[in-house]
Parts: sequence; C-alpha cells; structure tokens
Amino acid sequence: MTDPRLHEIPDKVEWDVKHPNKFRGNVKETGIGFMGYDYDSTTEQFKVYLHYDQLYYWKYAEVSKLGKGFIDGEFWGTKCPKCGDKFFPPRVNCWNLDDNLEKTEWIKLKQEGIVHTFTIAGWSGKSSLKRLPFVLAYVVVDGCKTAIANELRNIDPWDAEFGMPVKVVWKPEDERQGTVTDWWFEPADGWEPTVGDTPEKERMKELCAPVYEWVKSMD
Amino acid sequence: MSRKVCIAGGAVTPFDYPMHITPEGMIANAIVETQGDVPDFHMTDLEFMVYSHFSVHFGKQLCPEWVVHDHLGLVGLPHVRIENGGNTGGSALYGAFLAVKSGLFDVVGVAGWETMDNVTQSQGSEFIALASDTRYEALAGGIYPIYYAAMAYKFMKEHDLTEEDFALAALKNRNYAADNPKTQWYRGEYKKYKRDLTVEDIMDSRMISYPLKRYDCCLMSRGGAFALITSEEWAKKHAPNNYVVIDGAGLSSCTIRAGDRLAFPNWDKMYGKGYPDMTEFAACRRSGEVAYDMAGIEYKKAKKEIDVAEIHDAFSSSEVQIYKALHWCDADDMKDFIREKQTFMDGEVPTNPGGGLMGYGHPVGATGIMSAIECMYHLNDTAPKKHLSSKTYVKDAQTGLVNSHAGTGTSISNFILRRP
Repeated sequence: MTDPRLHEIPDKVEWDVKHPNKFRGNVKETGIGFMGYDYDSTTEQFKVYLHYDQLYYWKYAEVSKLGKGFIDGEFWGTKCPKCGDKFFPPRVNCWNLDDNLEKTEWIKLKQEGIVHTFTIAGWSGKSSLKRLPFVLAYVVVDGCKTAIANELRNIDPWDAEFGMPVKVVWKPEDERQGTVTDWWFEPADGWEPTVGDTPEKERMKELCAPVYEWVKSMD
Repeated sequence: MSRKVCIAGGAVTPFDYPMHITPEGMIANAIVETQGDVPDFHMTDLEFMVYSHFSVHFGKQLCPEWVVHDHLGLVGLPHVRIENGGNTGGSALYGAFLAVKSGLFDVVGVAGWETMDNVTQSQGSEFIALASDTRYEALAGGIYPIYYAAMAYKFMKEHDLTEEDFALAALKNRNYAADNPKTQWYRGEYKKYKRDLTVEDIMDSRMISYPLKRYDCCLMSRGGAFALITSEEWAKKHAPNNYVVIDGAGLSSCTIRAGDRLAFPNWDKMYGKGYPDMTEFAACRRSGEVAYDMAGIEYKKAKKEIDVAEIHDAFSSSEVQIYKALHWCDADDMKDFIREKQTFMDGEVPTNPGGGLMGYGHPVGATGIMSAIECMYHLNDTAPKKHLSSKTYVKDAQTGLVNSHAGTGTSISNFILRRP
C-alpha cells in the first residue's frame, strides 16, 4: 500500500486554462547579451554592461489550491489531522517532528486576521518603489499558528496598531494572478484607531513626509 | 582529547561600492596579506578550500568559486562552496572547522567574496529579497530591511526601547569604522564628514522602514576575505605569534519566514511556548549556547568572559537583539546595558571595534570571515597595526566572540576564539 503521506505527482498536466501573457503583455525573453562598455583612460579600467532576462515557470504543484484559491478570491490553508495546527501560508507536511511528516489537509479560511506586528516601509525593491510609503503587516489569519506578511492599506501609516483586526480585500477578478499580490489587508469594518495623536505618530508623519515627496517626484 | 582547530591567519580586502577588482584578485590579495602576517604560509600548504559566496545573481556567474580556485592555481585540491545567506561566511568557517576537527585536513583555506556593486542598490535589495520565501513575501513588496523593521518594532515596544537606543549601535560601529582604513564608511562618507556621527545624524537620516533609518542599516559592498584554518600543530609551528584557537563553534537554524516562528514545535519544546515569536533570534541563542558550552562558558557569565566581539549588525536593531540572544542582557536590564554603553570600547563587551557591517559594509560571502579576522586582531595584538590607531584595540583580550547571521535570523553561527 502507498504511504498516505506521499505527495501525488500527476502523470500528465495539460494546462487547459491558459493565462500566460495576460498581465505583462508578450514577455519576450532576450537571454544574455552585452549592452555596451565604458573605459577609464586614466586608470585603464574597463567595464561592460550585461543584461539578462529570464521568464520562470513556477509550478505550485501540491500547493496549487492556494494559487487557484487566490484567483477565485478564496484563502486555502492547511491543517494537520494529528495535532490540529493550522497553517497559512500552507505547509504540505506538519512541522511537528513528533507527527513524522504527517500530510496536512486543505481547509478554507476566513478572510480575517489580527496584526501581529508591522512596519512602515520607506524604501523597497525596484518593483515596489512607487507604492511607498506603505504598511507591511504580519497578520495571523483565522487562528492559524503562523503569520503572513502583506500590505495593510486604506489607513494612514501612523495609525496602524498591534493587535488590530483586519479584513482581506481583493483586486478585481480579471486582474488576479494567483499570487499574494492579488489581495491586501485593510482595517476590519468599523475599526477606529484606539489612540489619538501621540509623539510617536508625529514622528512617523515626519519620517513619511519626504517619502511622499520623493515618490511624487518619480513621476 | 579531540584536537584543537585554529585560525592561523587571515586578511580582509577593503570593502567598497563600487570597487574595481575581480573576485580572484580580491582573494589573491587577501592571501598575500595573510602571508605578510604568517610568512611561513605558502600556497603549497593548502589541502582543501572552502569557498564562501552568497549570490550568483550579482556576478551572473554560476559556480564562481571555480573561477577563483582555478585562478589561484589550486587545481587538483578538493573544493566546495558553502552558501547560507548572510551567514555564508560563518557557515564556511564552520565547514572548515569540521574539516580540520575531523582530522582529515591540517590546512584549509576559507575564501569569501561578494560583488554587490554589479547592480543598482534597489535591484540589489530585490535580489537579496529572493532569499525570503519568494512565493509569499518578496512579491508583497517586502525586502530584508522591511522584515527586520517589523521584527525590530515589536521588540522595541516589548522592551520599552526607543529609536535612540538602536541608534547607539549604529553610531558606535560607524565611528569605530573611522579608525579602520578598509571599511566602506572610512573610504566613503566619513571622508566627507570628517567627524563622528551623532545620534541626531542617525535620527535625521531617511526612513528605510520604521523604526529603521538609513544609518541604522548596513551597506551593500564589494569585498573579499580569507581565513587560514589549521590544526593546532600546524599553527604552533608556522604561525606561533599570529594564531588563535577556535574553542567553541555553534550553528543553528530558524524559519525562513519570520511569521512562521510564533509557535514552532521545536522551539516550543526547547525554550518554552511561543518562543522566539517575531522578536527573538532563537538560532542565535541556540548556536551561542552550543559555542559557550563547547568553550566552557557559563551563559550568565558570558559578558564577563568575552573581552571582544564582532557581531552581525546588519541593522542597529539586530545588534541589540543579538545582545539578548547571547545572554549579555535580559529583558530587565537591557535598557541599562544599552544606555550604559556596555558594548562600547570602555564597556563590559567591546563589540564591533572593527566597524561591524554598518561600518565595514556587507559583501555577504566575505562578511563572517571579516568578523572572525577582526576579532583575531585583538587576540593576537595586531589590531593597532591593522587599524589607524590603538583607539579601537582591546588590550589583553583573551576571549573573543564571532557571530554571523542570515535571513530573518534563519541561520546563525557563533564562535568562541581564544588567545593560545
């Protein structure tokens, strides 16, 4: 008999629902190429420009339910049938060594959570600079044993709080890509900041002001 | 009695952004400088090479260690590359330590580098973020300083600390770097400033991710480093005035995503329910305790026994979090420990007199090796010669600690070095 903890590997995958170029247009791989050079005649230093482009085909495989769930506006986590620990993002085997790689089961999660910690980002990777400043929050979703990071929107950054309740808000269905960027957190309906102006909030506002200016100047 | 493993010598290239020297050139230079301190050491002594390099993204070169190894003329010798995020250098040292400890080799070279100046800073930040779980974190706009800030903010609140408390570590390490000509701080911004940084300078620098500002964060760099790991017998014979003994070595791991350590079963069992949460570096505590045990250091006496430390201050906040993980202070006396400047030159545990990552820069594969070499400089009394003055020299140091740290605290090593 097959060990029930083994993950199934499908023999043939046909991809009958295809959405490859919908979001970025026709992504053309250009591969590796030299794009020019510089020379410093005083120190005799030479430099070339190298450009490399690569399209990856990330297979979600046994966590496919998570990606498809995002397209459908659903949160799918996993739960260990032995110890009951709930995970989001999903773990496909239990993390408890005593459970000896017990295979977890998929469960649909409520799209609500509690902010465990957060920060106000004033700098980020190239692809995220225009969103600055933003709140990145680690949120415990629906009583899971883990927290997931995502943006907390629709709030002045300095008003975010530890322990605040949040809800999940989705991009329009036709813009979703099956990734964590399909959704973000927002304060739960009816939530108001529990404290008014504090010196720390003033400090945060001061720190954010030049970031707003800088992002405006990028246009 | 199992045999002792030593650092017989080693050297660090300048760290800078940009800097015009190839990886093989950096390692060759570091070996030549090592030979200046250990004239008996010749290329033909090497038996095994452990290469320390983090990201092939920066050079767009897979297996770049093959280029370096070949160039050094070491063809035929066994070689491996160790990659373990920010703890790549510490992990490579750990690998070399095991190789000598096992008795298989007497003379092992550890060579590390990174060429982060091959890309822009923001692109570089994104490359490094690929060492988070890219499926769940990098795409949400998270880069490492943001993850660290989220951890640091909770730590700051829970311990009633202020931004200024973190700033002290940033100020200390950068100002010590001003005494070290190899550091990026000395070579760059300090040359413009020509004065010591103040807490106000750090508070006024631009926000990276609250509560961290620009001067709370380390620098991207190009740089290389080399360490010669040998048996005690070899070191005594060939590097009698230069070597230090590795009396303790610990390596531990934690989750890749900081959000996954709220209730991890292994930690719950070892340190109690809910530890380390998103505030503590459990892998630092664990690897520190392993190293302390090996070196016969009682945890509570660690800060008294350690005379000098070089720790992984990628962020000012993480330096403070490391103080706690290494048992130098606890939740009750942390504020005093910081505000009494116990990690400054005149304090209980002078920390990062070489400049740390904030002063030196953080060319990942070279960093942990740099920390070990800088620590060695005090235990073999070469610091006054290597630094610009004796202001950053810990006299009569007997015991040193070296810390190397990766991910969001995902892999951490600690070493205890002792004067023979």
